[in-house]
Amino acid sequence: MYEAIAFYLLAAVVAGSAFGCVIATNIVRMALCLLGTLGGVALLYFLMAANFLGVVQLIVYAGGTLIVIVFGVMLTSRAAGVRLRPKRSEALAGTLICIGLLAGLVTLLVRTAWPAAQSEAQAYDVAWLGNELLSTYLVPFEMVSVLLLAVMIGAAFLAQPSGKDKEPEER
Amino acid sequence: MAEFTTEDALRSRWSAAARPRAVRWFSGLGVVFVLGAAALGLLATRLTGMSYAVALAVAVVLLLTGGSCLGAAVVVQYPRAVGRLLQRLGLPLFLLAVAAIIVVAWAPVLLWPDKPLIVRDVLAVVGAVGFVSLFASFAIWWERKVAGRIQSRLGPMRVGGWHGWAQSIADGLKLFQKEDILPGGGDAVLFRMAAYVTFVPALSLFIALPFSAAWVGRDLDVGLLLIVALFGLGVIGVLLGGWASNNKWSMYGAMREACQVISYEIPLGFSLLIPIMVAGTLRLTTIGELQAGGFWTWLAFRNPFTLIAALTFLIATLASCKRAPFDLPEAESELVAGYMTEYSGFRWALFMFAEYAEMFAAGALTAILFFGAWHSPLPAAWGAAWATGPLWQQALHGVVFSGPLWLIFKGIFFVYVQIWLRWTLPRIRLDQVMHACVQFMLPVTMVVLLAQTFWQLLVPAGSVLAVALNLACTVLGALVALGIASIAVYGLRYRRRLVGTLVVDHLPGS
Amino acid sequence: MPDAPLTNSPDSLADVERVVPGELRTEEMLLNMGPQHPSTHGVLRLVLRTDGELVLEAVPHIGYLHRCAEKIGESVASFQFIPITDRLDYLAAMINNQGFSLAVEKLAGLEVPERARYIRVIMAELNRIASHLVSFGTYGLDMGAFTPFLYGFREREYILDLFEAACGARLTYSFITPGGVTQDLPDGFLDNLARFLDYFEPKIDEYNDLLSFNYIFIKRTAGVGVISPEDAIAYGLTGPCLRGSGVKWDLRRCMPYELYDRFDFEIPVGVAGGTDRIPREVVAGDSWSRYFVRMQEMKQSVRILRQCVQQLPAGEFRNKPKGILKLPPKEVYLEVEGARGQLGFLVVGDGKAVPRRVKIRGPSFCNLAITKHVCRQVLLADIAAILGSIDVVMGEVDR
Repeated sequence: MYEAIAFYLLAAVVAGSAFGCVIATNIVRMALCLLGTLGGVALLYFLMAANFLGVVQLIVYAGGTLIVIVFGVMLTSRAAGVRLRPKRSEALAGTLICIGLLAGLVTLLVRTAWPAAQSEAQAYDVAWLGNELLSTYLVPFEMVSVLLLAVMIGAAFLAQPSGKDKEPEER
Repeated sequence: MAEFTTEDALRSRWSAAARPRAVRWFSGLGVVFVLGAAALGLLATRLTGMSYAVALAVAVVLLLTGGSCLGAAVVVQYPRAVGRLLQRLGLPLFLLAVAAIIVVAWAPVLLWPDKPLIVRDVLAVVGAVGFVSLFASFAIWWERKVAGRIQSRLGPMRVGGWHGWAQSIADGLKLFQKEDILPGGGDAVLFRMAAYVTFVPALSLFIALPFSAAWVGRDLDVGLLLIVALFGLGVIGVLLGGWASNNKWSMYGAMREACQVISYEIPLGFSLLIPIMVAGTLRLTTIGELQAGGFWTWLAFRNPFTLIAALTFLIATLASCKRAPFDLPEAESELVAGYMTEYSGFRWALFMFAEYAEMFAAGALTAILFFGAWHSPLPAAWGAAWATGPLWQQALHGVVFSGPLWLIFKGIFFVYVQIWLRWTLPRIRLDQVMHACVQFMLPVTMVVLLAQTFWQLLVPAGSVLAVALNLACTVLGALVALGIASIAVYGLRYRRRLVGTLVVDHLPGS
Repeated sequence: MPDAPLTNSPDSLADVERVVPGELRTEEMLLNMGPQHPSTHGVLRLVLRTDGELVLEAVPHIGYLHRCAEKIGESVASFQFIPITDRLDYLAAMINNQGFSLAVEKLAGLEVPERARYIRVIMAELNRIASHLVSFGTYGLDMGAFTPFLYGFREREYILDLFEAACGARLTYSFITPGGVTQDLPDGFLDNLARFLDYFEPKIDEYNDLLSFNYIFIKRTAGVGVISPEDAIAYGLTGPCLRGSGVKWDLRRCMPYELYDRFDFEIPVGVAGGTDRIPREVVAGDSWSRYFVRMQEMKQSVRILRQCVQQLPAGEFRNKPKGILKLPPKEVYLEVEGARGQLGFLVVGDGKAVPRRVKIRGPSFCNLAITKHVCRQVLLADIAAILGSIDVVMGEVDR
């Protein structure tokens, strides 16, 4: 019973934050609503006893991606008066598409026969996860590592100064 | 200049005509509430289960409210007598009240083991909030005293009598009453949210932080990772606060803070991996129990790599908590107060609480991961008999061998170290901070990680090399501890000679 | 940067105020290190043009402490002007008094008794130590070391106690007047002074160990804000700022006034790092050199004070002129070595007691002029380091 209450509350928070993120006109407030969404999703993971996933969601999304977004937002939107307002036609088209997607998703959710949870959540603890990552799912794991390495090298390359400005001397 | 005593503080604001009426109202309400609490308590004994707990809780609340009303009536009626009593008994009464609250909060846990889980959770949350508030108040007072002593002065001395122990409480009451200023042109919603977004993660990590093997809110199997995640979430609140203040200096502070904290999360994570590798789990209680065999089993002293990891972890937490020498975000001489410049009153207090909560969490985490968690330097096996005896023996075991008091003591000790460093060292410039992170901390932690990996794979646990290095690191650690203690004793013994004759002659009482 | 640099002219001030937030480019930011700021040492306003943490240009705006001191000099008699001189460099008030008194005495041809001269030197050197203690403490505070400030002020309390015993005031003394000093030294002053000197001299080494040779402090200040000797002389820098660049020029040695030619003391200058105990990263003319010159000057002041205590003769403490001192219709310009540089007084007499013109050359005013030249392409945190090492007191700058 408590789980149902918690689920509905968290779902409301996630959906509300996402909605707020979409309709907000101030770009920094959008970032705050995004924090609510990502944090809410992390709490939903905790509710499903997927502790590791919830923590990783907090570290990677809320504590990493969101900070990068906030940085980018704050550094590029100095003019505080910029308001992001979509045109009437854009808003109408977006609403129609969203309603269509919602209808499709709801139909999918209602028609699918979801199987019940099979085993104890505690069986899937972090040690089991680590073992699986390094035995059954080793190839995807290594591929993701190489991808992350490529991302880091690309980011370091892109962040280089353009060479025109003189750098301050190293002290 | 007339002294402002406790009597002055307690003197009633009502006129002489209004006072008897106030006393009548207070005593009447107080009596009503106390009687209601008694009735509800009697009713509660006939109930069971959830309604029993609810009735008991309501009865306790009514009792406290009634007691406060009666107390207020006494204070309004006899301010001078109460003032003189408080002056003398203030500190013992306060400590007694704290102890009573702890006992009342934990008595249900100890006496009724089969209570519903929600009661235990509510107690854990209330305990966390209470502990953070109490610790923040204590830590602010402690920092001011230590800072004063380092700077050749005394620190707070007046508020409450003995060494100004009530200074934090008085400051908290003052901050409560301050006008809530929102900077014009700043984003009001974000300005408010920033304080909350900073405070909530700092508070939440006490859910997973164990104070002892049994005293933990939720013994998560990813506890350590959750605490690290919540450490990093505080950055968002600071960024939002700096942005919403509509102040370029606040923006500078927020940007610097974000740079610094995010960069130092990497050496922090690397240093954390060492005890995780040694223990083989992310569960903090398991890591703690691994160090139960006396201080030579503490993870910092297992081999030189864990010792270096302990030191780098300490430095990384210094940067994470924005404490000097990494306190650029709060650089008072350049940015006034950095991202906190525009905050006043209770919102500023929230930022301060979050900072001190994080400091204690960092210190407690250092203790749990590296320095013996909640165990004393003596092996827990020596006191095994007491652990299962009667209540007084269990309490003694908790004090001498292993118990939450030891973790709190170690956490406070590491906060003490952070306070020392803050008031001694100058501030490092931002580019030097980044330089230190990327070109010093990162290589060191990576090398240590690699070395520890190979150590664990190649060197068997009980071999001569492992034992020898364990012994060497233990001896080194013991020598350092002895060195610090002896310097302290020397300074205490020769303090008059060290500070100089002129200062001594001018000290009060000399 | 391809942009017209900000200047101090009134037109550009209006430009600064008129910049609209929406028109700011995203690369640069105009920042106001305003009159109220913990590290600008008084009411100094610095307008910074920054690119992130990098300061492209720093323009000082002064005048927030202007109190028309020179104009007041035209309406009061010379001995009445002494309290005004107190408030110029309020951290070293005795030296201001001494400078003005010397100028008036030279103009009016007033003789000063020997004992009065010795007392003047004692007060001036004590005040130099007190001023350098404030500079040392606040520089540490700017760098984030909170503790040396309190230690400096603890020692300063003893000096201020001595001053209070001598003349009743702790900050603005009006003790040195044309003709001598206002009162003789009280009983026990010399014993207390000797005790203080014995107590204080080892403390300077303690402070060097605590702050000067601290690795973090060296990294913050060494090599920052380097002023070459040629630049220093061209901009008219004097005092520790000039000596920190390696130029061995001190008025007490090069153009001695009062009794300074009788005392044996050295002139510390800034040298490049590597020798002695000077750290390797130090360059002659950087902030660390200017700061360390002040620390060494405190030691030399202690030396001078010890010699004064030994040599102090008995005698008159004041040559009080009959009636109000009339200033002959000549002009005199005289400079003394203040705590922050050469403090100059031009007094133009008129035959009356009230001078026709008093002009004050404030050393901090000239020292501040180098800010714009040296605060280029430095980090924001370095601005505090450079300003702290130049050590301005706005009372002298604005008068």
